[in-house]
Amino acid sequence: MTSSGQIQKNNTTPEAEHKELPAGYGTTEAALLPRDPNWMFIYWEITENSLKNLRRDHGDDVLKKGRQVIRVFDVSGAADGEQGEKYFDIPVMLEAKSWYVNVQEGGRAYCCEVGLAMPDGSFIGLVKTNTVKLPGGRVSDVTDEKWMAVTADFDKLLQLSGVEYIGKGSGEVAKSLAQRWEMLRAVFSRASSWGVSSMSSQALQKPGQQKPFWLVADCELILYGATEPDAFVTVSGRRVNLNPDGTFSMRFALPDGVVDMPVKALSKDETDSREIDIKVTRATNTDAK
Amino acid sequence: MPNKEKGYLSLVLHAHLPFIRHPEYEDFLEEDWFFEAMCETYIPLLDVYERLTAEGTDFRVTMSITPPLCNMMADDLLRERFRRYYSLRLELAEKEVVRTRNTKFYEVAKMYETKFRRIRELYEDYYHGKVLEGFKKFQDMGKLEIITCGATHGFLPLELRKEAVHAQIKLAADDYRKHFGRGPRGIWLAECAYNPGDDVFLKAQGIRYFFLETHGIIYGSPRPRYGVYAPVYCPSGVAAFGRDMESAQQVWSAETGYPGDHRYREFYRDLGYDLEYDYVKPYLHQDGVRRNIGMKYCKITGKVGLDEKAAYNPAEAREMAASHAGNFMFNRERQIEHLNHFLGKKPIVVSMYDAELYGHWWYEGTDFLEFLFKKIHHDQKTVKMVTPSEYLGLHPDNQVVQPSMSTWGDKGYNEVWLNGTNDWMYRHLHKQVERMVEMANKFPSAEGILLRALNQCAREVVLGMSSDWAFLMTVGTAKNYSTKRFVAHTHRFNGLYEQIMGNRVEEGYLKDIEWRDNIFPGLNYRVFSTEETEKAARS
Repeated sequence: MTSSGQIQKNNTTPEAEHKELPAGYGTTEAALLPRDPNWMFIYWEITENSLKNLRRDHGDDVLKKGRQVIRVFDVSGAADGEQGEKYFDIPVMLEAKSWYVNVQEGGRAYCCEVGLAMPDGSFIGLVKTNTVKLPGGRVSDVTDEKWMAVTADFDKLLQLSGVEYIGKGSGEVAKSLAQRWEMLRAVFSRASSWGVSSMSSQALQKPGQQKPFWLVADCELILYGATEPDAFVTVSGRRVNLNPDGTFSMRFALPDGVVDMPVKALSKDETDSREIDIKVTRATNTDAK
Repeated sequence: MPNKEKGYLSLVLHAHLPFIRHPEYEDFLEEDWFFEAMCETYIPLLDVYERLTAEGTDFRVTMSITPPLCNMMADDLLRERFRRYYSLRLELAEKEVVRTRNTKFYEVAKMYETKFRRIRELYEDYYHGKVLEGFKKFQDMGKLEIITCGATHGFLPLELRKEAVHAQIKLAADDYRKHFGRGPRGIWLAECAYNPGDDVFLKAQGIRYFFLETHGIIYGSPRPRYGVYAPVYCPSGVAAFGRDMESAQQVWSAETGYPGDHRYREFYRDLGYDLEYDYVKPYLHQDGVRRNIGMKYCKITGKVGLDEKAAYNPAEAREMAASHAGNFMFNRERQIEHLNHFLGKKPIVVSMYDAELYGHWWYEGTDFLEFLFKKIHHDQKTVKMVTPSEYLGLHPDNQVVQPSMSTWGDKGYNEVWLNGTNDWMYRHLHKQVERMVEMANKFPSAEGILLRALNQCAREVVLGMSSDWAFLMTVGTAKNYSTKRFVAHTHRFNGLYEQIMGNRVEEGYLKDIEWRDNIFPGLNYRVFSTEETEKAARS
């Protein structure tokens, strides 16, 4: 059940359904959305005019001198009158236009600002997002007197409530009305792929409890780009599906060694093409402790 | 004897399909989703309710019938097309009874003939083409509680503006009043997606309760004293009922769930492929491509190839459904006895499912429900079936807890609707909402063609908000269709927006869009105004 019916009545005006979505709306703005206790999604648009003003105020080479970053502010404390700014930076390219932001602590409020971290330590903000309060993703520490339960009972209650199933996914995805048990099985077994940027934030598992102190770390690769929405694009020879606005992004595992990723775009009429070759080298050294 | 029961069971069925209606095509594939669900789930459920009522079996069930579904059920064009759909199948079923005489498929062919005749009888003679009247009848009897849903099943936690949340709830409540003659008491938040604080907009519409996935309650603050086995009140006073996972898993588990039994009907052997081409062609779509037509003659059989599937035996499958219903009831009795002992109070077990699971995905699912209602009524006293409204009437004293943000999707939060396959939508959607709010504020009392254009803009925004588009992109089925739909609504909105702001609305352009997207005929664009939203939030 994929394509739609083909027989069109003659008395209707054909609609330009295949027009492209606007690449932008001509306003410098950004938004932040909650995904889960550890991930948020940010998108932004920075107009040519904003960049012109930036160069006027800070010099033509400001984009080269400054590091392009998303500054992620933990603003939970602001409401409680806490002092001092808590933030960290994620390096990005302004052209990326969107990003998934990982935070260590759920249950807190965040907002982001896309801008330039300058060598002298100053920060030039370009566009700021709304504030997002992430869910905690765990049982609350707060109990209330009138409705108190002893702790052991509460743990039992959690079990009875099916706490083990949390986040295991619902069979309700079946309402796609197109596949049946195969898909349900895939969903239940978490074998299905939700596309890129879908890594579970729990992917890194704490090792067994025998060691008192521990560290795990890994790294992945995000490749993104944009071209004409009707172009034919390949990455490492594999066809890439473009979003309707012509953007694309992919997330890869990144093993040690050299990864070569030629990105090729061919125009729809096959008269023009562009190529960007990206090589990434990874070397991981672990101390022998 | 009063108070004999040890606890309550609330069965909640979420009936929903996205608004799919294409007057510009004579024949449109995706409209079949609605017709299939009518034949396999919605009308068979009414059939169950009719029979139970006729034989004096009392029952309680809560059903969402979402506004898009209500609008499709009430739409003249789709009603006419549905007639064509079931009539063709009845015609084929009648031919098949003759063709299969003295073969092993005769019983199942007879089953389809009986089924489609009954559909015709219910649709035409009982409800005169208006199935909503059927559902309303059982609601008025107090056996069925119909709840609403966001206007277009909008995914609220990913909206930036409160005006969008208010519009989704207000339009839904107004639409409900129109169809069912009173306000909705409860709501199914699309995908059980809850964003703390949005409950004030439910309260503003007189909605008293909604449903949450288990961890929405469990991770609430302060700790919920009774877990998911009693509702909690949000700070706004609206009640939240949490989903019981034990009963959910019993039906849904891929390993042990009921629908996988080998006696049940096999979904993948369909007459659309099995019959000789020239014979089946009149029952296919106009393009003549073989597709499922919803009539299937085989049972699951076991782990064998599709060509080795045995003939379906309707009586045997029905017996199995009765046995599974008995098993489900037995487990609920034990569960409720245990919870009652442990909690020291009567628990409420809330079993929530997609309605389309019953009948459409699991063909015998409606038989299962019928047996379950009968057994609970006749065979035991431990479990009492209630609607959430009834429960709140009996037990108004509940803990105040702020539930956690949560959904019933994979991993429990927003990822199914926000990932690399669909995240590109949101900048366009948010821009439309922002512009819609801007226009609603700018034109406090539009008239004439401007009023029509603004109302149509509001329809386009809410149609684009439907969570179904993002969902279908994620699971990769009907991805082209869902992308096209989102893009089309975006273009229609932007086109009208430019015409309105340029003070040059073209009648012909507007009329064409009104004809295509006719959901919510009585809608007023002012639902998106900041003033109305703030008023609702204060109420």
